[in-house]
Amino acid sequence: MTRYAMVIDTRSCIGCQSCTVACKIQNNLPVDMIYNPVTTVGPTGVFPNLHMAHIPLLCMHCENAPCMDACPTGASQRREDGIVWVEEEKCVGCKSCVMACPYGARVCNHEKGTVQKCDFCFDRVDKGNVPRCVQTCHQKARIFGDLDDETSEVFKLVNGEHAVRLLDELGTKPRVFYIYGLEGQI
Amino acid sequence: MNHKHETWGWMLAVDFFFAGMGGGMLVIAGLADLFLGIGMTSVLGNLLGALCIGLGACLLVLELGRPFQSWRVFMNPKAILTIGAWSMVLAMIAGIIFASFGIGSLPWSDAILARKLFAVVSVIFGLIVATYPGILLARHKSRPFWTGAGIMGLFVVSSLVTGAAAHIISQFVFDAVSSIVKSWQIVDASSSVVLKGLPYLVAGLLILQLILWIGYIWIKLTGTTEREALAAQRWMSGNYAMPFKGGFLFAGTFLPLVLVLLPGNLFKGIGALLVILGGVIMRLLVVYSGQDRTWLPGEQKYRSRLPIGDEAFLKAWK
Repeated sequence: MTRYAMVIDTRSCIGCQSCTVACKIQNNLPVDMIYNPVTTVGPTGVFPNLHMAHIPLLCMHCENAPCMDACPTGASQRREDGIVWVEEEKCVGCKSCVMACPYGARVCNHEKGTVQKCDFCFDRVDKGNVPRCVQTCHQKARIFGDLDDETSEVFKLVNGEHAVRLLDELGTKPRVFYIYGLEGQI
Repeated sequence: MNHKHETWGWMLAVDFFFAGMGGGMLVIAGLADLFLGIGMTSVLGNLLGALCIGLGACLLVLELGRPFQSWRVFMNPKAILTIGAWSMVLAMIAGIIFASFGIGSLPWSDAILARKLFAVVSVIFGLIVATYPGILLARHKSRPFWTGAGIMGLFVVSSLVTGAAAHIISQFVFDAVSSIVKSWQIVDASSSVVLKGLPYLVAGLLILQLILWIGYIWIKLTGTTEREALAAQRWMSGNYAMPFKGGFLFAGTFLPLVLVLLPGNLFKGIGALLVILGGVIMRLLVVYSGQDRTWLPGEQKYRSRLPIGDEAFLKAWK
């Protein structure tokens, strides 16, 4: 069975925000809505040993998604391939999912009165393409694929590199993994 | 520091307040009816309990992004909000029916067994309505001030104490207007019970509330994670310190604790009003403290740099 996941190699990310812009265009987002911010940590250390990392953030498509438990209408759903998405027709904009999401991945669309989020561009994925942010990243810092496919790059990176998940201690089991430089330091 | 991040607003806090107070009123009215005898709380107070829950439900609907689709919140039985919505509806219905037994001119007012049955139902659903906001907030693992079962106890006690205070105020109003509604043959033995007994209940619950809050803040400050300690520090020395200490602890707890125990109905009335004010302040502070989320690496800095919505370029864009 397919289990989609994304690996983000922060060693390659240069913080250009191309993915942020591509995502906004792909999803036709209003100017004040961002699914896909890229944060910057640092610079840290003392010259000449300085270090800075860029951390692309997005919906983690958690296996134990707190947003789905919190949604009173059933608008927040998971597909068989693990992609968590919001059925706009059912969403009433109660913000329960916004409050429940530990990753700040959900944003309110004040024009529609609903909550929206990254859905791994499943309309593109269903046609055999990768999400727009993955396609746009010229540094190849984002890798998308099937965790159950042992030949996929995602499978190899998650099982071979020191890939970590954000706020893993909360038990949400995110499907987005990060590879950090400098022995796991951010 | 402003952050472009959506959170629940004041309407949800006031919903929690009205629903909690209404739930508390139903619990007290039902228990008094079951264990002390018929007509021990005023009909007005019994009815107001259900109406307060209804008012809370209206505010919950207005808080939604799509209020006309509000019926959809009843659709996912696994969600706490859905359980809360159903409980509010059932508590309202049970509360109104229970209150109607106090109007002697209604044909079913003599049906004692049915009255007792609806008293039990009112107590059960009143307690669920009083408890569910605490459960809802306690399940937010990434909101350091809310997470954990302790907040549930704070909400239950606050609901009961504001419910008892609201019964005292309802009794004053009821006594003032009872001559006008004399023709309704209202079953009432409440004045002496409410005005003599409930102030002691209010005082006891205020002491319990104070102990629970001191314990809650102390545990958050010392015994849990660094994030929870930081969130709790805002209540002791940060931007929530003044409304918490001055508004909730002093004006909403200490002062009414003294006033409700003084002889004289005026003091009891002012004390009861201050208890209710304290309940509102507490809900607002707790809901706004949910803005403190567990931040991801670099996220706080990133969000602090985003426009907050009133910038000229955003308006020009639209």
